[in-house]
Amino acid sequence: MKKKQIALKEINLKDEKFRTSYHFSLQKLKLSLEKIGLLHPPLVSLQDNRFILVSGWKRVLACLELSFTAIPVYLTEEKNELQTFLMALYENLGTREFSLMEKAEVLTRLKKFGEDEKEIIRHYLPLLDIPQTLSHLDAYLAFSRFEPEMKRAVHEKSMPFTSLKLLAGFTPQEQKLLLPLLLPLGQNKQKEVLEDLLDISKRKDTAAQKILLSKEIKSIQDTETLTPLQRADKIRSLLREWRYPVFSSWKDSFDSLLRKMKWPREITVNPSPFFEEDNFTVIFSFENQVQFKNSLLKLEELSSRDEFLEIFKLR
Amino acid sequence: MGKSDFLPRKVYIEKKSLNRALTKRILKNIGRRVPLEIIEDSQDFLEKRKISRDSVKHGKKDLFITSQKGEFVKPCPCTPHTIGCNYYIINLDLNCPLNCTYCILQHYLSDPIITVHTNLDDLWTQLDVFLVKNKERSIRIGTGELGDSLLIDHLTGNSKELISYFNNKPNVIFELKTKTVNIENVLKSEPAPNIVISWSLNSSKIAQSEEQGSPATEERIRAARRVMDKGFPVGFHFDPLILYPGCAKDYRDVVENLLDYIDPKRIAWISLGSLRFPSPLKEIIRERFPETQIIYSEMIKGKDGKLRYFKPLRLDLYKNVVRAIKERGGQRIPLYLCMEGKSIWREVLGWIPRGEEGLEAYLSSPLGKLVV
Repeated sequence: MKKKQIALKEINLKDEKFRTSYHFSLQKLKLSLEKIGLLHPPLVSLQDNRFILVSGWKRVLACLELSFTAIPVYLTEEKNELQTFLMALYENLGTREFSLMEKAEVLTRLKKFGEDEKEIIRHYLPLLDIPQTLSHLDAYLAFSRFEPEMKRAVHEKSMPFTSLKLLAGFTPQEQKLLLPLLLPLGQNKQKEVLEDLLDISKRKDTAAQKILLSKEIKSIQDTETLTPLQRADKIRSLLREWRYPVFSSWKDSFDSLLRKMKWPREITVNPSPFFEEDNFTVIFSFENQVQFKNSLLKLEELSSRDEFLEIFKLR
Repeated sequence: MGKSDFLPRKVYIEKKSLNRALTKRILKNIGRRVPLEIIEDSQDFLEKRKISRDSVKHGKKDLFITSQKGEFVKPCPCTPHTIGCNYYIINLDLNCPLNCTYCILQHYLSDPIITVHTNLDDLWTQLDVFLVKNKERSIRIGTGELGDSLLIDHLTGNSKELISYFNNKPNVIFELKTKTVNIENVLKSEPAPNIVISWSLNSSKIAQSEEQGSPATEERIRAARRVMDKGFPVGFHFDPLILYPGCAKDYRDVVENLLDYIDPKRIAWISLGSLRFPSPLKEIIRERFPETQIIYSEMIKGKDGKLRYFKPLRLDLYKNVVRAIKERGGQRIPLYLCMEGKSIWREVLGWIPRGEEGLEAYLSSPLGKLVV
C-alpha cells in the first residue's frame, strides 16, 4: 500500500461500490480538518485510470465542502473487490459502531463481492454483533433494498431491528405510505403500528395499502388542524381498535360507564391490564386529611350508583 | 407420519452412545434404510445445523442419538401467576417430526434436531432417587412435553421400558402423551391403573390445517379406544383450543365423538388450554407458516409475557367444551385448565384448587378411582 498526494477531482465519487455509510453530519469533522488537517488519509484503489474511494467517505466529503483541492491517500494495489472491501470493513470495525442500515449495506456488499453465504453467517455476523442465523442475514439484506428516502428515515430515527423486519414485509409503495405515519412516533408506537397493520392485513386478507388508503385513515390524514404527531397517534389508535375489536369494545364500555357516573378526574380507576384479573385499582392523591376524606366520600357516593355494579361485569 | 412410519432422513450418532443398548435397538429397527454418521464433537455438529434457512424444518427430518448430560427429570415449566398442577417431565426424547404451526418447541429448543438420549441407566437411577425423595406424596410425571411420547416409539421402544418401570410404583401416575396412533408397543405392555396414555385432541379442521403430519382426530380417538380396551386409563388434552369461525360447533363435535367411543369412567382427566405462546414465537410462526391465521386472532400479552386470547374469548372457548363434556355424560371426569389463573378456573369449572397440591390430589384420582 502506497501513500501519495492526489487531487480530489481525481476521485470518482460516483462509484459507490465500496460505500456503506450515508446520512452523516460533517459538522464536527469539518471543524477538526480546519484545525488540524487530515491526519488519517482515506483508502483508494485505481480502476480504469480513476481513483475509487474504498474507505474514508466522510473525510473526503468534508474536504470537498472545505474546498480542499488535494489530499493524502493510501493507494491499494489489491485488484480483488472482496479483498479491497474487507480493508474498508476492518478499518471501520476497529474504530466505530455500525448502524443497522450500515450493517445491511456491509452484508449486501459482502454478498455482491462473492463471499459465501455460510462464511458470512459464520464469520461476519458475529463481527457485526448480529445473531448467526440465515434469517438474520435475510432480514439485513432486505433492509438494504429499502428506497433511499426510507433508508434515511430509518437511519435518522434509529429504528430497531424488530421494526425494520416488520417494515421489510411491506411493499415499497406501502412503506412510502407508512413513512409519514411512523416518523413522528417513538420506537414502541412505531412497532405497534407496524404489527397491527400487518396483523389486520393478514386477518382480513387485504393489502396493507388498501387499509392505509381507507377513508377512515385518509380523513385523519386530511385533518389540517392536527399536528403530524396527533395524526399519527390517531391513526395508531384506530389501527389498535381494528386489531383488537373485542378488547376495544370492553374498554369503551368501561370508559362510557365512568362518563355516565361523572367519575372525577382526580381519582383514577383502572381495570387490571386487559381485564385479565378480577381486581380494579383506584388511585388518588391528597395533601391533608380533608382532601383524603373528601375523596373517600366521593368514592362511597360513586359506589352506591347502579353503574358502579356494571363495572364488575367487565372482568 | 404419525402412523409409526416415521423414518429419519439421516441418523447422527454421538460416538459415546455407539455401544449403548438403546442405540443398538434403534439401529436394528431402522435397518439399513437410513445413512448414519458418527459425530465426534456434538457441540460443533449442533452449532453448524443452526445455519439453515429453516433449521426447525430440517431438524424434524434427522435423528441425533446422544446422551442426556443434565437432569432427565424436571418440574413442568408452568407459567407465573397461574395455577400449576405439580407435574414432572422426563426429558428422554426432544423435538418431534410433526409440524404443528403453534408448537412451542420451535422457540423453546435450542438444538433443532430430533434427539434421543440413550443413557437409560442414568434415567433409572435419577428416577429412583427422585421417587425415594417423594415417596410420601403422589407424583404425576410424563414424557410428552418436549416431544411426542410415542412418535418414534417404533424405533426406540421406550414406552415398554417406561411402563414396566412405573407400573409397580403405586404413588406415581405416569403419562405418555401423544398425537399419534403409534400404540403397538403400548398394546404389548401390561396395563396398570397408574399408567395413563393420553392424546392431544383438536377439532378436525385444526388437526388438518395446523397439525401437519398428525393423524386425524377420529384416528386418535380410535387409538385411545384400543388402549382403553387393553386396560389402560386414558387422558385427553384439548390443548391448544383455537378460535376460528365455527370452532364452537367443531369442538362440541369432537367431544361428542370422543364420549361416544370412550367410556367416561375410564378417562383419567381432560385438560383444557387455549392457544398461548411467548411473543417471539409469533414471528417464527409467521415466517414458517405464512398461510396460517391463528396468530392474527385477538391475543393480548399477559403478565407472564405470553400472548393469549382476550379473557372473554378464552372463557367462551372453555365453557363451550366443558358444557359439551357435561352434557355427554362426562360430569365426573376430572377436568383441569392448563396455565390459567383463579378467575378463569372459578368461572369455567366453578372451583379453585388449593394450590398445586390441591390440584395434584384432584388429578391423582386414577390411583383410587379407576379399576382395571
